[in-house]
Amino acid sequence: MDEANQQDLLDRQLRDAVPYIDDAGFTAQVMKQLPRRRKHRQAVRATILLVTAILASGLSFVLSGNARFITIDIERVANLPVQWVFAIAVASGLLLTGLGLIAAVFKTRELQSN
Amino acid sequence: MELTDADLIARVLVEDDQHAFGELVRRHQSSVRGLLRQLTRTDVALADDLAQEAFVRAYKNIRSFRGEARFSTWLYRIAYNCFREDARRRKELVGINEDQWQAEMDPQTVDLGLRHDLMHALSLLPLHERSAIILCCQNGLSHDEAARVLQIPLGTVKTNVLRGREKLKKILAAWAPD
Repeated sequence: MDEANQQDLLDRQLRDAVPYIDDAGFTAQVMKQLPRRRKHRQAVRATILLVTAILASGLSFVLSGNARFITIDIERVANLPVQWVFAIAVASGLLLTGLGLIAAVFKTRELQSN
Repeated sequence: MELTDADLIARVLVEDDQHAFGELVRRHQSSVRGLLRQLTRTDVALADDLAQEAFVRAYKNIRSFRGEARFSTWLYRIAYNCFREDARRRKELVGINEDQWQAEMDPQTVDLGLRHDLMHALSLLPLHERSAIILCCQNGLSHDEAARVLQIPLGTVKTNVLRGREKLKKILAAWAPD
């Protein structure tokens, strides 16, 4: 038998010598050891943020004298001419729509790149 | 239609889909566990512990898999690193000496009943040659892929495969029936 054939035979014997190893619960064991899913971690993060935001709002409300500045500003807006109120409403609407569109474009690109 | 490894990896990356990762584990568990059993010289319990550690590490670091190599090659590399780290720890703890083990397992002193056991012959090779033979000859990796897994130069892999093959031939020739 020449060198190359001998080598092939040896390689084949080596490959054949390795049996398929039955899973026998191995994958289940690995799955148990995986860290918790990020979605769970994200839910915890969102809860912390929400609770912090509520507490911060409550604190601001109390410290600002029951949010008197809000009623004062509403009175100021109410005293503005109707054209001004209309212009502010339109500008706010346009600003929000623009920001929403930009966010949608970025998110779409991100998803497409994945 | 069966999903490819790339599809499953994408699902893990985008949706953090652990079922997809489970499918990857099911697909590759046999080869990774087989590799580690060979490296640990058929210490099945240790090999399986290391294989579990390797898969958990793979999950945690899957974002670093850039798809330049096959997923199996990337897994072998992690598994080999787990094995090396464990071997280093054991060496420090109990002073296991590869040369000493080698001397104890001299082919002349091996049980005659194991003469035809190719796997046993393989276990007699030094670690660097055994690893190269297991990856290239048993698992079908190219020399280049094996060099990535073992983190050694390509030329060294070629030399190790060549020397390992020669030694195996010699050992098996000595075991040949009269």
